[in-house]
Amino acid sequence: MAIKFKSLSYVYDYGMPYAHKAVDSIDLAIREGVITAVIGETGSGKSTMVEHLNALLLPTEGELEVLDYNIIANEKTKGLKNLRKQVGLVFQFSEYQLFEETVIKDVAFGPKNFGMSEEEATKKAMMALKLVGLDESYYELSPLELSGGQKRRVAIAGILASEPKVIVLDEPTAGLDPRGAKDMINLFVELNKKFNTTVIIVSHDNEMVYNYCEDVVVMKKGKVGFHGKTVDLFWDNKMLEDFNLLEPQIVTFKKYLMEKGFELKKEDRTIEAIAKRVAKEVNG
Amino acid sequence: MNIISVKDAVFSYDGTRNHVDGVSFDIEAGSYTTIVGHNGSGKSTMAKLIDGLLELKSGEIFVDGLKLDLEHLYEIRSRIGIVFQNPDNQFIGSTIRDDIAFGLENHQVKSEEMDALIEEYSRKVGLFDLLDKEPQNLSGGQKQRVAIAGAMAMRPKIIIFDEATSMLDPKGKRDVKRLMAELNDDNRFTILSITHDIEEVLQSDYCLVMNKGKVYMHDTPEEIFKHGAELKKIGLDIPFIAQVKEEFRKQGIKLKKNDLEGVAEELWQLNSNH
Repeated sequence: MAIKFKSLSYVYDYGMPYAHKAVDSIDLAIREGVITAVIGETGSGKSTMVEHLNALLLPTEGELEVLDYNIIANEKTKGLKNLRKQVGLVFQFSEYQLFEETVIKDVAFGPKNFGMSEEEATKKAMMALKLVGLDESYYELSPLELSGGQKRRVAIAGILASEPKVIVLDEPTAGLDPRGAKDMINLFVELNKKFNTTVIIVSHDNEMVYNYCEDVVVMKKGKVGFHGKTVDLFWDNKMLEDFNLLEPQIVTFKKYLMEKGFELKKEDRTIEAIAKRVAKEVNG
Repeated sequence: MNIISVKDAVFSYDGTRNHVDGVSFDIEAGSYTTIVGHNGSGKSTMAKLIDGLLELKSGEIFVDGLKLDLEHLYEIRSRIGIVFQNPDNQFIGSTIRDDIAFGLENHQVKSEEMDALIEEYSRKVGLFDLLDKEPQNLSGGQKQRVAIAGAMAMRPKIIIFDEATSMLDPKGKRDVKRLMAELNDDNRFTILSITHDIEEVLQSDYCLVMNKGKVYMHDTPEEIFKHGAELKKIGLDIPFIAQVKEEFRKQGIKLKKNDLEGVAEELWQLNSNH
């Protein structure tokens, strides 16, 4: 199964003099159960593209197959509310969207809105908060009392409480300190492993993308420039140049070592793995 | 000479907990200091205190020889420029030229002088050819460069960057960081940069590490990254090159070089010696 974009275009202010085609006739099949990164320069259409996944935006042309839904341009699709429950979308700086009096109420809002009883929704909220690493001492706090990183986690818990099959995150680590960013990524890796959740991350952080995302989509001027294995993209100098991407430092380092004559394997993706392999050669 | 002196600064947002808790440090005129720390460590609060946007509970701050109090507040503010995180929230003009002119007009700078300043500083940030462009045609990195030109045109002695690169894409980040390093080259500006980007620390003269409202370390980047384990304990990272050296040290190999190519060469030589 996959999430399929079929000749999908999206035009902002369609029919207006200043209409702008942000996504331009893309064909793309994103694998389910995998962590996929969506990268590309500012204005390349990344956010517009992913906002189709839970029907926040509807295609101007073409169609989209996601889970059991088939969304076709200019046709009414039934049950979009249910789709939004199954595809969770976390916006950039999502912490600004917290609004309830307490953390637990904020997180329970989603499931309640999707028709669960108060009790059930609270139970789901507790589970979601546990997933993001916030224990019961946070339940009754006001979201305003939390640090930036904690607020972000509450916002993400609000999405997880509806137990989505697909979770889409727009720049989830921007503005977080290094530990906060790492914890955040590990959460998505865990969700993917435990529940086989499809994770789609829009990001500018190539180091993170290289380390954690199996697949990658590169957007360029509203079109898909590349879609495939992350390793294949970041080891291709021509593509890095074409897409104006910075090479992850680990790739740079590996290339230097290989130019010298060290033999490294494709699976050596962490500094630790590289150090072990090289040390074996050096230490004889 | 110290352009900023902070002595036993204490500040609380809510009156119960001290978010800045007895902080003292000095900043040398013309130096480039990065301020790092976890979210909520007090680093942004510290910057707001220095600019007089927040008021100390106790302690003293001196900026350019003046004590920060009501009498000197405006004088001190005129010597400090600030570049914020979000490039979209600080673009006021309808073109780059208008945007850089905004602060100057507020200070009633004469128009010929203003033109000269706009030219000088737009050149400095590499945007002279784009002066009449509108903000929607600019990338995030370009907008931040406009903000920097606007701050510099006011000819402050100190420029504070409050996570100025955190919302930019990788190329934008790199360009703005390069510009910050260049600005500091001729030592005309003292730079204070609050950042989560541990790689940026490498290009600064000094680094101030904040933790739980206190100064945890204040030293050169080289000295600071010798304490990798302690930095990790307080939620910070070490730069990629330092991580590489650390992993090799665990394998019993001590490396001297401080760049990736140099380290690769060093390893190859060790290998050939066997």
